[in-house]
Amino acid sequence: MLRILVAVCLTAGFAAPPVLALDSSAIFEMHQDHVLQIRVLNRETGKKSSIGSGFIVGDGRQIATNYHVIGRVILEPEIFYISYLGKDGRRGELKLIGLDVAHDLALLGAEQPLGEPIKSSPLPHLGEPIFAMGNPLDLGLTIAVGTNGGILNQTDDSRILFSGSLNPGMSGGPTFNRDGEVIGINVATARNNISFIVPSRFLAELVEKAATESFDSTEDLRLEVSHQVLAYENHYIEQLLAANWPDLELRQFTLPGIISPTVRCWDNSARLSASAHYHRLQIRCSNQNQVYLDEDNKFVGNLVYEYYWLETSELNAIQFYNLYEYLNKDQIDSKQDRDIVSNFNCETWFVEVAKQEFKTNLCRREYVDYQGMSDVLFTAALTGYEDRGFFVTLTMTGVDYAATLPLIRKFLEQVQWRP
Amino acid sequence: MASLILEIGSRGLHHYQPLDNRVTTIGRALDNDVILSDPTVAPHHAQIIRHDDDRLEIVNLAEVNQTRVDRRRVDRLVTSTLPLALEIGRVQLQLLSRDQQVAATRPLAGNGRRSHLFGNAWWAVLLVLACLLVGGLDFYQSAYNSFKWSDLIKYVLRETVVTLGIFVLAMSILERLLVNRWEIRQLVTAIALTYLIYCATLQLAGLLDYLFSATWPGTLLYFGWYLVAMPAAIALYLIHISHFRQGRGILLAILIASPVAVPGLLQSPRLHTLFDDFSSAARYHNSLSSLNLHLDRRISIDEFLAAARDLEPGEFAD
Repeated sequence: MLRILVAVCLTAGFAAPPVLALDSSAIFEMHQDHVLQIRVLNRETGKKSSIGSGFIVGDGRQIATNYHVIGRVILEPEIFYISYLGKDGRRGELKLIGLDVAHDLALLGAEQPLGEPIKSSPLPHLGEPIFAMGNPLDLGLTIAVGTNGGILNQTDDSRILFSGSLNPGMSGGPTFNRDGEVIGINVATARNNISFIVPSRFLAELVEKAATESFDSTEDLRLEVSHQVLAYENHYIEQLLAANWPDLELRQFTLPGIISPTVRCWDNSARLSASAHYHRLQIRCSNQNQVYLDEDNKFVGNLVYEYYWLETSELNAIQFYNLYEYLNKDQIDSKQDRDIVSNFNCETWFVEVAKQEFKTNLCRREYVDYQGMSDVLFTAALTGYEDRGFFVTLTMTGVDYAATLPLIRKFLEQVQWRP
Repeated sequence: MASLILEIGSRGLHHYQPLDNRVTTIGRALDNDVILSDPTVAPHHAQIIRHDDDRLEIVNLAEVNQTRVDRRRVDRLVTSTLPLALEIGRVQLQLLSRDQQVAATRPLAGNGRRSHLFGNAWWAVLLVLACLLVGGLDFYQSAYNSFKWSDLIKYVLRETVVTLGIFVLAMSILERLLVNRWEIRQLVTAIALTYLIYCATLQLAGLLDYLFSATWPGTLLYFGWYLVAMPAAIALYLIHISHFRQGRGILLAILIASPVAVPGLLQSPRLHTLFDDFSSAARYHNSLSSLNLHLDRRISIDEFLAAARDLEPGEFAD
């Protein structure tokens, strides 16, 4: 099948040049002066520490890019600064004038007008060709062709699926429709030809906000980042609390199922050897809308909950509990360094949930650089049965600790037990 | 003249030589009254002369490794003080009066009764069998995936037989070197008993951790085992079975326990938990018990969340 596909592509390539190539060439011609390389430079060496792309918006002195392209400047403004480089060789320093951390956007300001701002447009129809411009791997300005895969509701509507190839260095560059209007900003890639674009409406909101609100780039921007991430996460948790959660059945338990369109659940049951004397079922659910925090902390905003059911008719109680205890161990996904987060502080309670007793643990740690931001881990293991066990782990990263408690309450109150 | 006796120190039982002559010669040559076959002793090393007025005269004859009396080198010394410590080369001797009191008799373990734990080889055999059974049970209770007799035998050989074997071998060599005796029966009994107590301690640590919903009881027990119980068990053996003096027994026990206790503690995750100032993992109490004995009362979701509000984040590492 793969061979046939390759042959068809080659034939199409040589026999009749695709219509898309003409479009992309015209768009490249039209916007090559509006798309810039964004560089984070070391003040002492003057050399690039990281690169990305950006494009002219707003009043012509504003440049849109990704927050993650310039994130290093937020952590170490005394060492790094932001600069642009045009295809024609023009260059200059930029300052940060707006941030939307949740959607990975940054707005930069130049001293002089840099050119005509690019007009933006809503998303075209599904399957229509779209064109991503940027500077991949510092090799020069290029354009990648793909199609519109639509808004992904599992990312809280903040990503467009793009069936083209985005590469490092293209982050922050514009994605155009056939008319050469911006429909989004290049942001990430998953694998070959599975890439993601931030819808241009979030950029429009940021440009509007920058026009009406002052932004002090000399302040400690980590505070601003914390506020934005926590506001986004609190809003996300409020949405979760307001939603009706569908049920999920797992043996004798009825549990919260897919609690948000942003969540996907997978069966994670391990394949056991034929000689295993127990049965194990495992379901793992996690969200997709992670938020880029910075180069050290990478992503926050994970919500992961995992259910384990164990049962046996062959093991004795001690054997079964040796297994049960072994599986009921540290489940946190987000491994971090000592200069990024505090230690976890954990406490244990025996809690009655659905008339059953659970040994529960709640753990919390904070971020060194981001005030008020916590990682939270909640676990609950069923007690009192010699031949069956069940435990759940719930992990949330980059959240306001107090906001997670109502979510844990709702989670526990939805649990039901069938005798 | 008072009746004198010369104690010649050696590993194990000392030798005693009555001094009946007026002049006693000591040395390596075979024409001496007291012959010491040690290479650091001169052919004719010293003379002990007994005077009529009960005074003693110690005369050094050696050119190399001069005779010492009460740690001081002497050429000729006249004294009437007893006991007198002599060093001839590296051999330790004591000049004693026959009237001198000896220490009280140390009773055999269990007064030598055959029914006593250390008085019968069958106890040693029984305890070793108990260790093998505990090792096998340990494997069986952990075999939740699959159970094979061949795996059980391998486990018991590796975990129990090798552990017991190494300890018995090391301790018997030490005992041979220190007191010049083999006491294999008592040694096997003591080591098997200690091994069983260790296994019980591990089980108890898990139960206590669950009971208190904390790791400190198990940690306390674990550290208590290596730092107190194990050296104490060795000391008790050395003092009561090998009949070492108390101070010497305790010191030796600490020296013997150290090579086991130090790696045991260093490899323990409990030690790392105590002294690591940072861990990326959430170290919560994951212990579970089929007995489900816990001191914390069962609370409602409301009570849990009210208590959870006060949960502080962990400390930042230095």
